[in-house]
Amino acid sequence: MYIDPGSGSYLVQVIIAAILGAVFYFKGIWLRIKLFFGGRKKEQQPDNPEEHD
Amino acid sequence: MTDLKTHPASFRDPAGFVFEHEKKFYRQVNQCYADQYETFKQSGLYDQLVNEKKLLAHVELEKKLILSDGGYKTLLPEQLGFISYPYEWCFEQWKDAALLTLELVRKSMERGMILKDASPFNIQFIENKPVFIDTLSFEKYDETKPWIAYRQFTECFLAPLLLAKYHSPELLNIFSLYPQGIPLQLVAKLLPGKSIFNANVFLHINLPGRVAKNYAKSSKENIRFTKKKLSSIISNLESFVKSVHLTPALTTWNNYYEETVLSNVYVEEKIKIVGQWLKETPGNSVLDIGTNTGLFAEAAAAAGKFTIAIDGDVTCIDRLYIACRQKGIRNLIPLCVDITNPSPAIGWDNAERTSFLSRANADITMALAVIHHLAIGKNIGFEQIAATFSKLSRYLIIEFIPKSDPKVMLLLQEREDVFIHYNEAYFVEVFSQRFDVLSRLVIHGTERIIFLMKGILQQ
Repeated sequence: MYIDPGSGSYLVQVIIAAILGAVFYFKGIWLRIKLFFGGRKKEQQPDNPEEHD
Repeated sequence: MTDLKTHPASFRDPAGFVFEHEKKFYRQVNQCYADQYETFKQSGLYDQLVNEKKLLAHVELEKKLILSDGGYKTLLPEQLGFISYPYEWCFEQWKDAALLTLELVRKSMERGMILKDASPFNIQFIENKPVFIDTLSFEKYDETKPWIAYRQFTECFLAPLLLAKYHSPELLNIFSLYPQGIPLQLVAKLLPGKSIFNANVFLHINLPGRVAKNYAKSSKENIRFTKKKLSSIISNLESFVKSVHLTPALTTWNNYYEETVLSNVYVEEKIKIVGQWLKETPGNSVLDIGTNTGLFAEAAAAAGKFTIAIDGDVTCIDRLYIACRQKGIRNLIPLCVDITNPSPAIGWDNAERTSFLSRANADITMALAVIHHLAIGKNIGFEQIAATFSKLSRYLIIEFIPKSDPKVMLLLQEREDVFIHYNEAYFVEVFSQRFDVLSRLVIHGTERIIFLMKGILQQ
C-alpha cells in the first residue's frame, strides 16, 4: 500500500511530541518531589500519556 | 508466461506489486525501490522479523520472473492459504494487529528503517497470530521527519478500536465502508462527548482535526523532528492501544454458553458424531457457519482440518479468538462474518477485496443448529440455503431442528407461523436436488437430526 500522509499530520506529531515531552518532564519533577518527601518506593500505576521507554 | 496476472489490490505502491503465476503469488520489487529493499535486507530487520514470525518470509528468485519493465527482483513469499480482511476481525484481532504495526515501527527504527504505511490490509492472521505481509512497506528512516503513516494509523486502527470501545464492537464492520481509513472528523463526531476527557483520544483523534483545519500546509516543513520524539509518540500509541478495552469486559459473558447450549449429553454426542464424520470425510478444510462458542470448530481443528469459524456475533468471535490463543490452537481462524450478509467484493473495480464466499473455499461446510435461524429467523428458503451451501464446498454437515424444538418454538413465539414447508421431509427433498445424503442420525434425547451430505457434481 502507498499513502499520502495528509495535511497537518506533520504538525500534529510535532505538537503531540511536545505535549508528551512536557508531561514526561513534569512527571520527572513530581517524582523527585515525592522522593524528597520520602515518598514510598512502591510506584504509581503508569498513566498512558506518561509511559516511556 | 501468458498466465501472469497482477493482483487487483496491488497497484498503489510504486515500489512493486504482487502477481499470480501458475497458482502462486509472487512479488516484484521495482528498480526504484532497489536501494530501500537492499538496505532493509542488510539492516538485519528482515531476518529478525521473520525469525520472530512477525513478517511473512520469502525467497528471492534467482531467475527473474519479471512481469513489467523496471523490475529489480522477484520474490516468492510464503503462500497464504486463506486471506481475511480487517472488517472481518473481532476486537482482539484488531488490537493485536494494531500492536504489531507499532511494534514493527519500533523495531524498524532500531535498525534505521521505518514503516511507510500502516494499513491493516498488510496484516494476516497466521496460526492466530498477526503477521505483516507487505515486504515493500519498509523504508529508510530519516530521523528529522515524523512518521509518514501516523495519520493512516489513527484512521485505520485507532478509529475502529475507539468506535468499538465507546459504542459497540459491531461497529468494527464500518471499516468496510472506509477501507482507506475512517476520517477522523467523522470519528470525533461519532464518539461520545465524554471521550474527550481521555487525554489520548483528544491527542490522536480530536487534535489532528483541529490542526488540519487551522494550519496552512506550508508552515510545517521548518520544524525539525527527532528520533526521541517519534519514539515517545510510538510508545504512547502502544500503551494507548493496550489500554483500550471493550465494556462490558468479555468476562461478563461467562454465562453465555450455558444459555445457548442445550444439555451436555447433546453436545457431547454431537461432537462425537461430527468428529467421526470429519475423520471419514476427505478434505483438509472446514467452514463452520454460525460457530457460536466454537465447540465444533475446535473439534474440526482437532481432527486436523484447517477451520474457518464464522459468526455474526462479534463477542462470540472475540471469545473464540482468545480461547484459541490460550489453548494454542493454530489451524482455526475465527472471523466475524454473518452468513446472511457476508463481506462483499469492494474497492477499485470491485476487485481489490474479494467477497467472503469467493475466498472461503473449504472442503466441508458445517451448519450446526443454524438452519432454523436462516429459514425461520431470516425467511431464507431451503432452496436458497441449499443452493448457496452447494457452492461452498463438496461436503456438508447440517443439522435439522424441527418445529417442535424449544429453540424453534421460541423463534415462532413472537410471530405468525408462515413456514408451512418447514419440516424434515421437505428439507431433505430440497437438499436432495443438490446433495446425496450419506448419513442421517437423530441426536439422542432430542428431535434434532444431523446429516452428512455430498454435493452432486453439476454437469
